Parts: sequence; structure tokens; C-alpha cells
Amino acid sequence: MRATWPGATVETVAATPGRDLKGALLAAVALLLALDAIGSAWLGRGRRRGALAAVALALALLPGPRAQAQDMDPDLMRAAADVALAYVVTGDTRIDQASEQGLAGLSQALRSRTSVEPGQPIGIDLDQDDLSLLTFLYWPITDAQPAPGPQAYLRLNAFLRSGGMILFDTRDGDIAGVGGPDMSQALRRLAAPLDIPPLAPIPDDHVLTRTFYLLDDFPGRWQGNPVWAEAPTVAAEAEAGVPFRQLNDGVTPVIIGGNSWAEAWAVNADGYAAFPIGQGWEGDRQREMASRFGVNLIMYVLTGNYKSDQVHVPALLDRLRTEEILAP
Amino acid sequence: MLAVLVAGFALWRGLQGWAWRGLAGLAAALALAGPALELGTRAALSDIVILLDDRSASQALPGRGAQVDQAVDDLSAGIAALPGTDLRRVTVADSDDGTALATAVSRAIAAEPEARLAGVIAVTDGRLHDAQMLPQGLAAPLHVLLTGQPQDWDRRLVIEEAPAFGLIGQEVTIRLRVEDQGTVPDESRTGSVNLRLSVDGEDEQTVAVPLNTSLSLPVTPGHAGQNVVQIALDDAPGELTDRNNAAAISINGVRDRLRVLLVSGEPHAGERTWRNLLKSDAAVDLIHFTILRPPDKFDGVPVDELSLIAFPTRELFLERIDDFDLIIFDRYSVRGILPPEYYMNIARYVEEGGAILVSAGPEMASVESLHLSPLGPILPAQPTGRVIEQPFLPRLTDDGRRHPVTAGLGGPDPDAPDWGRWLRMSEVTPTGDAQVAMTGAEDKPLLILDRVGEGRVALLTSDQVWLWGRGFEGGGPQLELLRRIAHWSMKEPELEEEALLADVSDGLAVRFTRRTMQDGAGPLQVTGPDGTVTQVPLAADGPGRFVADWTAPEPGLYRLADGDMRRVLALGPAAPREFEETVADAPLLAPLVEASGGSVQRLSDGVPDLRQTRAGRAASGDGLGGPWIGVTPRDAATVTGLDRRPLLPGWAWLALIAGLILTGWLAEGRRRPA
Repeated sequence: MRATWPGATVETVAATPGRDLKGALLAAVALLLALDAIGSAWLGRGRRRGALAAVALALALLPGPRAQAQDMDPDLMRAAADVALAYVVTGDTRIDQASEQGLAGLSQALRSRTSVEPGQPIGIDLDQDDLSLLTFLYWPITDAQPAPGPQAYLRLNAFLRSGGMILFDTRDGDIAGVGGPDMSQALRRLAAPLDIPPLAPIPDDHVLTRTFYLLDDFPGRWQGNPVWAEAPTVAAEAEAGVPFRQLNDGVTPVIIGGNSWAEAWAVNADGYAAFPIGQGWEGDRQREMASRFGVNLIMYVLTGNYKSDQVHVPALLDRLRTEEILAP
Repeated sequence: MLAVLVAGFALWRGLQGWAWRGLAGLAAALALAGPALELGTRAALSDIVILLDDRSASQALPGRGAQVDQAVDDLSAGIAALPGTDLRRVTVADSDDGTALATAVSRAIAAEPEARLAGVIAVTDGRLHDAQMLPQGLAAPLHVLLTGQPQDWDRRLVIEEAPAFGLIGQEVTIRLRVEDQGTVPDESRTGSVNLRLSVDGEDEQTVAVPLNTSLSLPVTPGHAGQNVVQIALDDAPGELTDRNNAAAISINGVRDRLRVLLVSGEPHAGERTWRNLLKSDAAVDLIHFTILRPPDKFDGVPVDELSLIAFPTRELFLERIDDFDLIIFDRYSVRGILPPEYYMNIARYVEEGGAILVSAGPEMASVESLHLSPLGPILPAQPTGRVIEQPFLPRLTDDGRRHPVTAGLGGPDPDAPDWGRWLRMSEVTPTGDAQVAMTGAEDKPLLILDRVGEGRVALLTSDQVWLWGRGFEGGGPQLELLRRIAHWSMKEPELEEEALLADVSDGLAVRFTRRTMQDGAGPLQVTGPDGTVTQVPLAADGPGRFVADWTAPEPGLYRLADGDMRRVLALGPAAPREFEETVADAPLLAPLVEASGGSVQRLSDGVPDLRQTRAGRAASGDGLGGPWIGVTPRDAATVTGLDRRPLLPGWAWLALIAGLILTGWLAEGRRRPA
């Protein structure tokens, strides 16, 4: 027990008074907080899309609501089973009919020429339907089309990320570029919330030019307009000749153009072309090339970069042969 | 200087006393320098002799321990009897790296003043493993007293070179030598010796090999993971130890890049799933073919506008088929592209150790089913012809929860796995003893795994695994499932159903893991290096997994057995370093011994006497009573006091200078008037 002395402080010689670090620590905390704020602000500038994507990803990773057997849309089941081609229902009856006829015509071309045998095309209501069963989505752009809700954009982004493809068709190949009103405003409005990578006009050596037919243009009802796809990444260019390893086999998630392809593919109930193209033999040739583009496109959607890898197959087989010779 | 100047001036002026003046100046200078006498007091210091005794494992060979005890006792007594000599004892125990004698020597020397060190005596077998730690030189003689007997000899197995890795199926070379050391008795000079070889504890072979010759032993790693090569000598009678007569070499079998042939019957939504999987797998070379256009379709487009190539079927399925580790048939339907003999060749390829994986769509139920081709008999299930088109939740069966391909997938609750549904499958009836790992609608088999001959066949009766990748209803572990199926087919050891794993965690502590499709396992029979059998019970740890933690009593080779599962485990150094060389000799110490003027003596000749010799004289020799070794007294001393006395007291200097100058004056004064 130590006696207490009123009014006196007891000082011990040995113990040095402790230093109060509170002030310094508080100052450090304040400094770190300020740094954090600056860093966050810097990250946020120009990266908002990334942040949005992260939020979208987080939401997408949450398990979706479990649909029950009875609410399974038979059309969607068919889409998964038969690789049915799908189009976005715009609300414009004329355009929706053209889309359906166009995809039906393309399906017919695929059935008769290739081993892909798609079922009946499916119209998709972006606000309602689950996209995870689809492989390919045709989206004609119209002025009057209302933008789908945020939930729909989450589904669309998940669709693009997991290997789906959207073909945006502004259908204005006849008037685009002359300075008049075209669909680019509407396209921008509808596609802005999507996670679309940097785009570039499709290069001449893109695998899309040789997935089934050899093509040098991608005509629809119109032709001669640039068609856009994901810009080739620097890494992919650098590694040319080496099978590159990347997500989704390096397949572009979107293709954008204005050649009004559905109208070129469209056949009516009687099996005749629903829309006129060009004149005479030239027109027929253009329609044939449009069909070939359609076949190539669906092959690209289904087989990815298979055709560009096939360049390496002889080399791989050669290597097997060489190793056989070298082995004792 | 001043004195010289003054003297010079005086001379020039013709002063008679110049010499006296100069002398006075010099005396003053001397006084300034202050000559003094120093008287020190010193005390003699004792000499130090360091006595090291090596108690490492190699000194535990019969008779050596007693020799060390005897020598240490005698020498301690001898050192104690020497006048003014202190003893420092250092004991060298076993360490993981062998005998660290040199380190002990260096430390002991560093701890003592060099000037007092009179000698270092090491009682050892001379086999040290840290020769690089030996000091450069010694101020006192180093005497090495070797244990052992002159007739000691030992035969040992020396692994000169052993690869740590090897490609499966490709030969690697182990270089080894059987060496005799010491005085080999005549009856053991046989010229050749029997070497027993076995890989993974099986098929022991005995070969006679020549002695003292480098040999190459070709070994072919047969499987991935640890291939344990055991090499053992027959024990020779009379040799020092048999602990250096065996070695276990672990060669890690590594697979070359796996070649996978993916054949897609038609482009479909799931095709890119396979491509994503196989192209992202760095260990896989993928060769992919898709039937883009069946032979029965033709649209009249000229060939030069088509980008189609012929399917090199003959090359792939007849000529090069054995180069592939796995062939995947992805929705492949029989459409007359492959002639029957190609299918028969594929069946042969599987039976001889190949693998096929069939990912079947609705064509499995049709007349174009692969089952109707000559491949049918090796497929693990027979289609009923019915396609079930309804949503279903894939589930693991009891077998599936145990099978490494599917174990752990789908979360903790097997009745409600946390993945989405699939929408279509073909109904099949499994044949033979194929294992059904997953079931789909109506509990019909969804994933069937089977072994055919030496090969493997996996059948997935639905083509909709891609729905998991797309995130339909939350998706599922699509890539992991497909990766495991593919790698199981290619015999990845981590995915074997029946496996006995031993993870050495720390020294001799081992965790045994037994993976099995059976309901129970164990107890594990562990046969130790000395032949004793221990039963280790295994405790269940999840479906199909049984584990036990165990600590081995000593390093060496252990054989594990549970039923047919066998494994060899090498614990600790196969031939402990201590027993690499056992015949006592001191080649590593000899240079230092010579440099320090010491000697190497054998204790078998008796413990040498201890004498004091002068530095530079012989420090060892044979006396009347036997050999002797010498320590050199260093006569080290320390100064305890210092006294300083001036040569002349101050008054004497004063008198001297005054006398000299006075004499000078007198000399001048005497001459002038004369």
C-alpha cells in the first residue's frame, strides 16, 4: 500500500513518463483517410463503367431466383435444345415480322447447307425473358424502341460475358453516312449500359471471314458499310501463331452494322424472299452472300475461333510426326 | 638545432667555449626529451587445451562409445595433471546435416584467447560434414584421435546421381556405385555383389553388379507422382553397418503435354464450353475438328468460296491415334464419315490404355447413335432410345460423392445441390460394373465412368452442361466437372478412385489418406524398415475418405498396404548422412592437422599420453609407454602493473646544464685575458 499525500505527486525516478501517441495516431489516421479519399476519387474518374460492371457482376453472381418446372417457357427450352436463333421484340410489328422471317430464312439456310439444324426463331422480350438459354440474339434498332429496364441490362451483360453474342442491326445502310438522320443515336441510347469492349471495323483476316464460306464483305439488304466487332487485343496480335488462351475463346460479344441483314435473309410463308434486293443477277448474288454471312456468323457463334485454330492443326500433327521420328 | 647554431656561432666568433656551450644545449634538449625507465609487473596465465568428443550417430557403432569415454577420461586426467593448463570440453552431438565437428572446433577456438591455446584434441571418427567451416590455421597443434578398429570395413551403396523428375514413359538414369571402404577381409572380396531393385515396392529383381564401379541404372517412371525406386545391397558379414546398404529414390513422374482430340459432330451451343476448357488448360494440346457440313448436304457453292477442309480421319483414327491421351466425342453422330474399322481401332486404342469421353446429345437415342457403331461394346451404357426433355436437377449418387471426379461438387447437402437445372438428357441403362456418378431426370444415369481393358470411358448423357457455364438458374461448376472428367480419363493420379496417399508434413509425421469407393478402409499395415508391422486404424473423413495421422519411429523405408493398395514411403534421409561413410579416417582434417603440427592417432593403439613440448618441436611421437601427443605451453602472461621513473631527477639536469655552461664560460674567460 502506498500512502497518498494530498496535493503531492509521487514521482518515480526509474520510469520515464510515457509519450502520448494519441495525437500523432489521430493525425496519421486523418492523413490516410485523405489519401483514401483522393485515391477513390481518382479510381472513380473514368472508371465508372468498371465499377458498374463490378456491381453488375456481384449481382449476377448472386444465385438467381429458382424457376419452377411449371414456369419454364417451352420456347426457351427449345432454344437451349435446338440452338434456336432469337431476336429482340421491338414493338414495331413490321420490324418484328422481318426479324422473325429473317431468322427463319437463316435457319433454313443453315439446315440445308450445314450440320447446324436450328429450330423455329424465338422473339425475346428483354424485360421478361431469361437470356441464359440463348446463344445468339438479333437486335434491330428502331427510334421508337423503349430502353429495357436495369434488370434486363444485368441479364444482357451476363449474357455477353458468358459467351452469348448480340448482332445489332441499325438497318440504315442505305442512308447512313450521308449526314441525314440515322439510327446511331438510338443505338447509342440502347447500348450505352452494356459492357461492350472497344470496337473496330472487322479486319480482313477476321475468323468471321472464313468460318464456313470465304467472305470479303458482310452484305445484307445493303452492302459496303463497315461492320464493327471487338477490336483485336494487343496480346492476341502479339501471339499470332500461338493458340491464344483467353475468355470465351476470343469471340466478340457484339457485332454492329447497318446492313439490315434480317431483311436479306427473310423468306415469307410461301418460301420466297420477303424483301427485294438490288436488281437482277447482282441482287441475287447479294442475297446469296448475305446468306453466306449469316451461315458464317452462326458458325462463329457456335464454334468460336475453331477455324483460326485449324491453321495450327497441320503444325500440331507435324509435331506429332517429328516427335515420333525423334523418339527411339 | 639551436645548440648547434649557438655552437657554430661561437666557433665562428672564435669563442673558446663553443664545445661546452654546444654540450649544454644538447643536455637541455635531452632533458626536454625526458628519458625515463619503465618497470612492468606481469602475471603468467594458464594454457588452454580444448578437448572435443564426437557423439554423433556414427560414433554409436559398436565399441566406439566406450573408446570415446575411455579417451576423454584419460585425457581429462592428463590435462588436469599438467601444470598451469585448463581444460575446455566440447561435445558434438548429432545434427540434421551430419557431424558438425568443424563448426564446433571453430566456435571453441573463437571463444578462447588465441595466445593461451596450447592444443586442440578431437576424439572422433573423422567423418565430418562441414569441412568448409574448418579454421584456416591454428596456433596450437590439433590432434585427432580416431575411434574404430584397424580391421573395420564397410560396404556401402553410393547414389552418385538421381533425377528428381522424369517424363512418364521416358527413361531416366540413376548412377550408382557399390563401394568397399576400410580393410576388406579376403572372404568378402567377391568382386560382385547382389543388388536388389524394385519400383514402388513391386517386382523385386536381383542383379549382380561389380564392386567399386560406377553403374547406370535406367528407370522408367510408370505413373505420375512419386515413383519410389528402392535399391538395396545384400548385407555383407562383418561390415560396420547395414544402414548405408539401401536407398530409396523418389522420382516425380511428370506427364508430357496431354494431347486431346475433340471431335464435334455438329456446331452446337456447348461446343465453345469444351474449347474454353481445353484451350485454357496449359497442360493440353487441343486438336479440334467439327463436322461443319455432313456429307449428305451440298449447296453447289464452288470449293474455292468455301473454307472447309477435309477431316483427316485416316491420319487421326488409324495412324496417329496412339498419340492422343483422350478423344472426346462431342454430340457425335454416326454419319458414314468414319468406316467401321476406324471405330474398331478406337476400341482397340481404349483397351490398350487410351481414353474416350462421350458427351452425348439427343443423337445418342437415335439411329445415328455411337452405340450402334463398333464402339458400342466399350461404351458403359446402352441407350433406350428415349430422350427426356424436361428440366431436372443433376444429383450426385452415393458413388458420385465418393468418386474423386464428382466428390465435393454441389455443396454440402447432396439432396439439394447448389446448381442450376439442365433441360434434356438421353435415357440409358448402364452396363457391367460401370459407375454412375451423377443422375438426372427420374434418377436416370447422367454421368457414367467405366474402365475398359487398360483404358477408360466416360459418358455424359446430356449435352447441356453449358447451361451451368451460362449461369442459367445460378449455373454450376461446369468447368471443374468437365476438367475432372477429362483428367480422370487421362489417369491423373489425383483423381484415382482407389488411392493411398501419404503426406509427410514434418520430419517423421505422416498423414495417410485412403480414398476408396468402398464403405470402409483399413486398418493400414505399415511395415517398418526393420520388418515390424504396425496396424494404423483409419478414421472416416467425408465420403470415401479415410485418414490417419501417424508418426514413424525412425527414418527409413516404410511399406504401406491396405488390401491391394500398396505404397512405399521413404521417410527421412534414405541413407542417413551419418552412415554414408563409417570407417574412421580423417582425410578432411589432415591438412589442418599438418598445418598446426598436430597428429592423427588411432585410439585402437591405446589412448596416447600427454606431454608438454615447445612450439616448433615435434608434438607427437612414440614413447616407451606408447604413443604420446604434445601440447605447447604458450607462456602467456598479463601485465598487472606499470611504473615509470625518470632517468635523472630535475635538479640533476639543472646541475648538468649549469655545469656545462659554466665550464664554457670559464673556458672562454680563462683564455681571453691570457
